[in-house]
Amino acid sequence: MSTIDQKKPAPGLSKSFPVNEVLKLLSIREINVLLALVLIGALISLFTPYFLTTNNIMGVFRSFSLTAIMSIGMVLVIITGGIDLSVGSAMGLSGLVTALCFGAHLPALICVAAGLGVGVAFGLVNGLLVTMIGLPPFIATLGTLSIGRGLMYMITHGVPVTPDAPDSFAFIGQGYIGPVPAPVVIMLVLMVIFTIIMQRTRFGRHIYATGGNEYASRLSGVRVDRVKLAVYIISSTIAALAGIISFARLLSAEPASGFGAELDVIAAAAIGGASLAGGVGSVTGAVIGAALVGIIANGVILLNINTYAQQGITGGVIIVAVSLDILRSRIMGGRQ
Amino acid sequence: MKNLLRFSYPIVAGLSIATAGAAIAKDNGDITVAVIPKVAVPFFDDCNTGAAAAAKELGVKYQWVVPENTQGATQVKIIEDLTARHVDGIAISVNEPRSVQGVIKQAIAAGIKVLTYDSDSAKSGRSMYIGTVNENAGEVMGKGMADAINGEGKVAIVTGQLGASNLNERIAGVKKALAAYPKISVVDLEGTEDDLAKAVGVTEAILRAHPDLKGLFGVSQVGGPAATKVLTEREFADRKGAVKVFAFDDLPDTIRGVKDGYINAIMVQRPVTMGRLAVQHLVGQIKGQETDAKDIDTGVTVVTTANIGSYTK
Repeated sequence: MSTIDQKKPAPGLSKSFPVNEVLKLLSIREINVLLALVLIGALISLFTPYFLTTNNIMGVFRSFSLTAIMSIGMVLVIITGGIDLSVGSAMGLSGLVTALCFGAHLPALICVAAGLGVGVAFGLVNGLLVTMIGLPPFIATLGTLSIGRGLMYMITHGVPVTPDAPDSFAFIGQGYIGPVPAPVVIMLVLMVIFTIIMQRTRFGRHIYATGGNEYASRLSGVRVDRVKLAVYIISSTIAALAGIISFARLLSAEPASGFGAELDVIAAAAIGGASLAGGVGSVTGAVIGAALVGIIANGVILLNINTYAQQGITGGVIIVAVSLDILRSRIMGGRQ
Repeated sequence: MKNLLRFSYPIVAGLSIATAGAAIAKDNGDITVAVIPKVAVPFFDDCNTGAAAAAKELGVKYQWVVPENTQGATQVKIIEDLTARHVDGIAISVNEPRSVQGVIKQAIAAGIKVLTYDSDSAKSGRSMYIGTVNENAGEVMGKGMADAINGEGKVAIVTGQLGASNLNERIAGVKKALAAYPKISVVDLEGTEDDLAKAVGVTEAILRAHPDLKGLFGVSQVGGPAATKVLTEREFADRKGAVKVFAFDDLPDTIRGVKDGYINAIMVQRPVTMGRLAVQHLVGQIKGQETDAKDIDTGVTVVTTANIGSYTK
């Protein structure tokens, strides 16, 4: 977000027309990834008529919405200089606990609360391991990743849990608000809320400060440990929410649900401009990063690209897109 | 060595008749058979049911030994333990075909009868393999689909892990069966990593990319639930029935899909049969009644609305 002041708004324009305000909200880096997104979308739609239909676009949005939602929490952790590998397990276990509660005929609100509780517990454990014991975040969250997945297999014995749930609950995964799927609406709402938190609140500034220079932040009175604990709890709880949405969509809690999701989520944040070294990154960037990966995944199927080649192509497109973005901002004198 | 063997053949033959005679004299109650699954999942609960029932019928002692994980080394340790305790027969569903070769040979050298079920280790010297021949199961599936779409149209295949050998054998079987129908074309093959959420997204994209799709194969266990989920969505309401769905395994959601008319047929393996045959053939071999054991394909049951309440495994 250090780029905000680099391009001075043209005088007189900013008051009459809010473009500069919009530009301020998005850093240059995000606009570049957004451009890559639009470009790839345009390319795909040149070759297949099925891409640019309302149904497909909304389907794509729904497909990547869970990754995007989790990346919103992940980017906060990454900005503090940490990493949360346990999001896939938090997501899966939360969906499973919610499913078990529905199976026990508990009220929907309690089921959702139990699922979110799983997330809070994950975050507390991760955060305390990192701040109190001083474990490297990679190790702490790798441990809870395995514990969470192990618990899922112990509970399910490998069998999906498929209870009945009321339609009002299923709505958050399957419903539409107008033409927009409910999970996409939740993603957009979270994106706005956390963008405001990161840019307009002291807590947000402390998150950037912690990752930018932890020692200096400590000296200047930032309660670094509290900030870290908070971001791990936020990350796990958001992942738990994603697990609940996933269960509401499929009405089936799979033992493998969320397996490997951490890589997609971290990739989304990084593609969207977050630096794994900490201090740099944004919520909108992470969501756009998830969108880029989601659109490529959809495009390779619509274009009927050989299934065995898809992963390789996806990786190549990501590397090219982000490289162009970095080269472009270097040439244009953006952040480097 | 060869000469020696040839020379001693009559003696060995005589000995084996004598031991066979002794084995027949051995009371069924003195025979112990051990059955080893891959790991604790419901499929093997069914194997256990069949095996335990057969052991009870025959009056032999029966042990169900469950490995705590899917690593090859765990089953190696179990076979070593069983060999040391000198059980009379071992049936195993192999996690790692290669890693168990040595210990199975040792067990056989120690006079223990060994066979494989469900998952084979072909070079271990086991007497026989009892289980689903996946390519045959795929052929049954392909033939069923061809009939359902009257031998004409576009079909797509949704699989699990791209590298899974059992799934690739099923796909090969499907393609083999469809080769007899020149008017059927396989327009798409997609992997899902056996993740339901991913399978749903992939299935949606396939249906959008091929508006005239006639048939959808789900060769791994996520295919059935994913197809059911997608066809219940508002967007694809008019595709129900227009797209014939053939799936694998009887997970609860897949069964529901058949009952609600989203899935035309599912291929169900026969784990209970595998367990029962495994114990019966082991006991036959231990008693010397079965000398030239041959592999058995337990096949698949094709489950449709007609037999969904009554099929056996």
